[in-house]
Amino acid sequence: MADAAAHAHDEHHPGFFTRWFMSTNHKDIGILYLFTAGIVGFISVLMTIYMRMELMEPGVQYMCLEGSRLIADATQECTPNGHVWNVMITYHGVLMMFFVVIPALFGGFGNYFMPLMIGAPDMAFPRMNNLSYWMYVAGVSLGVVSLFAPGGNDQMGSGVGWVLYAPLSTTEGGSSMDFAIFAVHVSGASSILGAINMITTFLNMRAPGMTLHKTPLFPWSIFVTALLILLSLPVLAGAITMLLTDRNFGTTFFDPAGGGDPILYQHLLWFFGHPEVYMIIVPGFGIISHVISTFAKKPIFGYLPMVYAMVAIGALGFIVWAHHMYTVGMSLTQQSYFMLATMVIAVPTGIKIFSWIATMWGGSIEFKTPMLWAFGFLFLFTVGGVTGIVLSQAGVDRAYHDTYYVVAHFHYVMSLGAVFCIFAGIYYWIGKMSGRQYPEWAGKLHFWTMFIGANITFFPQHFLGRQGMPRRYIDYPEAFADWNYISSIGAFITFASFLFFIGIVFYTLFAGKKVTEESYWGEHADTLEWTLPNPPPAHTFETLPTPDMWDKQPHH
Amino acid sequence: MPVEWTIPKGAPAETGAFFDWADGHGAPMARVVLRPHRSLPRSGFAWFLLIVWGFLLIPLIPLLGTLALWAMLPFLLLVLAGLWFFIERNYKDGALHEIVTLWQDRIEVRRINPRAPDQIWDANPYWVSIRLGPGDRPVENYLTLKGNGREIELGTFLSPEERQNLSDRLNALLVRAKSGPLTPAAQPTRPD
Repeated sequence: MADAAAHAHDEHHPGFFTRWFMSTNHKDIGILYLFTAGIVGFISVLMTIYMRMELMEPGVQYMCLEGSRLIADATQECTPNGHVWNVMITYHGVLMMFFVVIPALFGGFGNYFMPLMIGAPDMAFPRMNNLSYWMYVAGVSLGVVSLFAPGGNDQMGSGVGWVLYAPLSTTEGGSSMDFAIFAVHVSGASSILGAINMITTFLNMRAPGMTLHKTPLFPWSIFVTALLILLSLPVLAGAITMLLTDRNFGTTFFDPAGGGDPILYQHLLWFFGHPEVYMIIVPGFGIISHVISTFAKKPIFGYLPMVYAMVAIGALGFIVWAHHMYTVGMSLTQQSYFMLATMVIAVPTGIKIFSWIATMWGGSIEFKTPMLWAFGFLFLFTVGGVTGIVLSQAGVDRAYHDTYYVVAHFHYVMSLGAVFCIFAGIYYWIGKMSGRQYPEWAGKLHFWTMFIGANITFFPQHFLGRQGMPRRYIDYPEAFADWNYISSIGAFITFASFLFFIGIVFYTLFAGKKVTEESYWGEHADTLEWTLPNPPPAHTFETLPTPDMWDKQPHH
Repeated sequence: MPVEWTIPKGAPAETGAFFDWADGHGAPMARVVLRPHRSLPRSGFAWFLLIVWGFLLIPLIPLLGTLALWAMLPFLLLVLAGLWFFIERNYKDGALHEIVTLWQDRIEVRRINPRAPDQIWDANPYWVSIRLGPGDRPVENYLTLKGNGREIELGTFLSPEERQNLSDRLNALLVRAKSGPLTPAAQPTRPD
């Protein structure tokens, strides 16, 4: 047993290297996740801007076989280089899906705030937490290596799309595809370790008296996400391992010539892929619930239905995967099943949307920046959800499959849904994490420019899709030119707002106004992180919090 | 329950003969076990693993009879085993506990560590003093026992209220141990 000594942790200051490179502290690791995801996100956004530049006008002006350009030059010859285009869409997808949104929401906010909200002193396995983070960094590095490694068409990188469909991926030349597979493997291992850590923390380290039915919604959302990761990523790992052996060891899992089946890959990929999109959005649900309750100055409406709606969305996510594959030749019965199961998801999602609206009903709503992002999320996610119902119809999907309608749909739920949640979370908690507050006008300006820009980008893509413009092409017939031009303008506005946001973050961190009030959003920000100073000390809740500190919901 | 008291029958309320508990080895006059809080009951753990396995079977069953089963199975089993191992390990981390045993002439604190040898401290209650730290940060109601040349911390994993409670009851028991009649063998001698 330890000899008596007052705990001296707070006076202990590790050096920069020790603190950030060898950290086992959940808050520091959360911040590392957020920054790394931000950097990767920036790279990934740059790719979209380049793609929107190319799509702004019909014809190919930038991605030339003679060398990619940044400034169009009509006097020079330009042979379209489809490989560069394919590489761009592939890495934009892979980076955003695996290395930006999940690490930011699950790794970043999950690590930082889930233990705080349940009153745990740290994660259950702090050193494994460190391992998860660095495996994620290793995965990012492998992804970037893959981008520059020799790939198909005797050029750099792989252009097979983020889904890595066989046989395209099994026949892509060079080593780039193998690196991409390893990148996904490593990041998958990182996510699974992280998920086990989160699950153990959530199940076994909640504060005394905090039963599952009293745990705040954000920890719940992280738990559901962790379960989705745990149940679906091993399937992806198995699938891409088969890809790897098909490529390198002569197996024929996905090659009909050897008795395999390429459709099997699609089934396995989407068995992972559909829960994946819920992993992206569910932590956002958690954040939005807290933001809306805080700024409507009311406790969340229907806490238990909210919890079980998340659980139901997670569970349903595992039995609807083939709605991504209506056109591969499934039987009518199979298609009917997947169609109906998909439409059922609208029920728990509706419960959430209406509970948020009911939370605001009769509340005293205050339009601070985080609340604006939450409103933006609510509206845009609903739009994306409605087009999702449209796409869930197997018959209608025949027409929309692989058109820009699909692009518009999934960007509305992810780019405008999940990313708005990330921004809501950042503005909601940046004062807590850094001890400094952003300028309110700047946050609002960022919101409005991004809201307008993102809508101008993606709304016209519904029209393009309905007109039949196919996805994944570098060029298009002149008839699609108008809406593409407008969409590109929107992308530039959004990019400008993103640059402005980077400025806001650094201004806030170095020169923002100091906030000393622990619960600076008022009394309705009542979860446990708001009982701590800004920023919280390195070690929190070493003595467990008591129910009077967190049990403020009237329904308990 | 994080704090479990065992006080043998007939002992607490009345003062009087303490001979039964005076030999420092026989039946103690009081015993308390302190455990860190764990929120998942064992049955919850079993249910949880069962549900996870059920979901893992969804992608597995259609692959029965194909070669792809063998590419998939190791990953799924690895996840299940990993989950089992880490939650068990977390329970084991929580198996840390402290046992305070009080006899008339001896108080013993035994700390059972999950992955290290037990640690033991003992002293004569006559000379033991109990101290409850100030009520503010960094640790609220920091509880220590002083005696036999050392000052040790007690129940650092408990909540401040539990430590306050523990301190009060322990104090009362110590007072009784100090004031009760003593056998000649257990005459307090000043430790040097």
